[in-house]
Amino acid sequence: MAQATIAQRFWVFREGANVWLFLVPTLAFFVGYQVYPIFRVLWISFTDFQYLSNEPANWIWFDNYVEAFNDPLMWKSLWRATYFTLMFLPGTIILPLLLAILVDRVSNPKLATLYRVILLIPAVIPSTLIFVLWKWMYNYQVGPINHFLVETLGLFTLYNAPQWLGGTPLTLPAVAIMEVWWGLGYHTIFFLAGLAAIPKELPEAARIDGATEWQVFWHVTRPRLAPIMMILIVLRFGTAMAVIDEYLIFGGFNRDSPTYTWTIFMYDQAFKLGLWRQGFAAAIGMIGAIAMMIVMVILIRIFRPRG
Amino acid sequence: MTVRKEQELILQQLGRRQLANGTIDRREFLTRSMVAGLGLAGVGAVAKSGGIGSAFAQDRPLTPTFYQWIEDLHPAIPAVNANFEGINYQIAPVEGFGIERFVAEAKDGKSTWDVYAGQTPFVEMSAMIEADVIEPWDPYIPQEVLDDMIPAIRDECTIDGKLYGWPFLLDVIGNSWHSGITEAAGLDDTAPETWDQHLANAKAIVEAGAAPFGATFDAHGWRSIAPMTHSLNSDVYTSEGLFDFTNDAAVEALMLMKEIMAVSHPDILLEGASDGGVNGTPDEVAFAAQRVGYYHKYFNAPLRMAQNWDDPKQLRLAQLPKFANGEGSTVFWTTGCALFKHGQNKEKAAEYIRALTYDSQIWKDSIVGTESGHPGQLPPYKSVYAEWDANPPDWMPEFVGLVRGQLNQAKAITNHLFGLQQFVIGKPHWEAYLKGEESDPKVALQNVADAVKAEMDRG
Repeated sequence: MAQATIAQRFWVFREGANVWLFLVPTLAFFVGYQVYPIFRVLWISFTDFQYLSNEPANWIWFDNYVEAFNDPLMWKSLWRATYFTLMFLPGTIILPLLLAILVDRVSNPKLATLYRVILLIPAVIPSTLIFVLWKWMYNYQVGPINHFLVETLGLFTLYNAPQWLGGTPLTLPAVAIMEVWWGLGYHTIFFLAGLAAIPKELPEAARIDGATEWQVFWHVTRPRLAPIMMILIVLRFGTAMAVIDEYLIFGGFNRDSPTYTWTIFMYDQAFKLGLWRQGFAAAIGMIGAIAMMIVMVILIRIFRPRG
Repeated sequence: MTVRKEQELILQQLGRRQLANGTIDRREFLTRSMVAGLGLAGVGAVAKSGGIGSAFAQDRPLTPTFYQWIEDLHPAIPAVNANFEGINYQIAPVEGFGIERFVAEAKDGKSTWDVYAGQTPFVEMSAMIEADVIEPWDPYIPQEVLDDMIPAIRDECTIDGKLYGWPFLLDVIGNSWHSGITEAAGLDDTAPETWDQHLANAKAIVEAGAAPFGATFDAHGWRSIAPMTHSLNSDVYTSEGLFDFTNDAAVEALMLMKEIMAVSHPDILLEGASDGGVNGTPDEVAFAAQRVGYYHKYFNAPLRMAQNWDDPKQLRLAQLPKFANGEGSTVFWTTGCALFKHGQNKEKAAEYIRALTYDSQIWKDSIVGTESGHPGQLPPYKSVYAEWDANPPDWMPEFVGLVRGQLNQAKAITNHLFGLQQFVIGKPHWEAYLKGEESDPKVALQNVADAVKAEMDRG
């Protein structure tokens, strides 16, 4: 009896060991590529580490955090990122959802495929080309948008036309428009996948029962797209709050520019100013990351699928 | 035997130079001399092991690395390389003046490259020294080359008496104009000597309807407020090497900027479209689109932009205007070469950079332009200009002589860890005056000084 128990335990252990053996590569990657850098940055944020200095870093506890919390630029730059996210996020949900519903109703298979391909074109263009294209579109003097507003519509003159990029109040909305356009097809495909998973009988039954199109959408379609919506909102919230490339390209390092968000503040401190105060920059990054995580938890709670 | 003696002589000379330069002490000098006396076998072994410094530890070919734009704008560089057999010419992994890779390697006590062509002293030289990335050229650069440098340029590349940058491509802030526009406005085709003339001409252009805008400039501080201040007074640096924004000359310059803005395109203050807002600036677009008459910036900008004109020959270049009672100075900077402390082939690197910086084809191409570009960058050596004066080439444009003349008064922005960043930090504050949010230029510039100090006080 005792021997049987030992044998059983051995087999259970062997099964467990097998599982862990297969998990090792992923675990090693996860620890080395994800966990270690996070804890390394966390450690740096408690030191006075300056990259260009050859002096050893000192442990300074929460001094960097206190300094960041007391710096108005920290709060201003966090608010700027939030402001951009508030403009960007609805555009990544509402427009793609509407488009997906329209495309989903196209019954001709060839036409439906063509729409999907057209929608995906911006998503496959490299970021560099996207930025070059939109920089030209928004250019104050030679861009087609201002040309249209000044020369074609006559709404403005060369002296008062809108200044889209370069650190003006219009820069964040302009970047948000570009980002929404860029991700439109990609986000639409998410919703199309969700729509394809809804049995056709459900909306048909609702219509037979006398539901209007709006009621069909609100009570049948929307709840079934909720998991996709939640994923998109959480993922895109994270990317929107942490945008950096676009701000560097469209706004530079001018601290008065709306594009000088916490990510640029962090980059500026880490790679531009003085001896590159990476301890302080790490603290800025950790504050930004924690703020984002708190909001993400709230978003998950709000948009979690119910019922 | 002859080869051995030559090697020993070279080592002795190197040691003497390093002793005189302060790179090594007497004890190290004597140790090296003794090692050299052991003969080539001993020297080679010690040198390879790193005990005698890396100057002779040549276990790889000469490996220079260039900022991409230098190669793009100067097509004659490969011809110089051809004279250095086995050279491992590379493009630097830098963007927007980033030096992260160089610093990372230096921290590990190594360098993939021997020399970096792309260093602008006031931008990154202090940082490279602070991070122990580069070392002085003094033990390797021939005295006659040092003596040949235009004094202001030698000063620019020197910190604490040591030459940390070997100057190469000289950029000078000067003036330029579209002669088609100025002629249409009924103006003489001559350079405005003073800012008053410059402004009057710009207003005349707008009033005559010759172009929508009269004048423009690049709003970044090192290209606007600094040279305009220097044109009145270049003695505007604090004892620690920062630009003194509270100086009266800076206040005058800021007021002048506002006056020019009144006849300029409304987007003049916006950040540029590349390199973190530093390049692809609105002034370039306006000048390229032939919408503005006068333009002051480093010459490369108008030369490049004029290539988009209906007739590029209508471009005129001249020295920067000055205030009526001003010094008549301007700002210049060189893009030069830094010697990696942990690199190798240091003597060879000096030989190479000497050949590069004296190459007559590079200078002709730069001044006249080629299919690949028209940088308008000038040489840093007195002898090159003297040769051109003695035997004027038929391709030589007039502006080169004008700029050379101004170089006797011109001054570089003083080297400092915040040499460039002080202007980036300060820009929003002086722009408050330019935008009309602050009525007193002195208050705006005091805010600049305070902001720079606050950032430096962070540590």
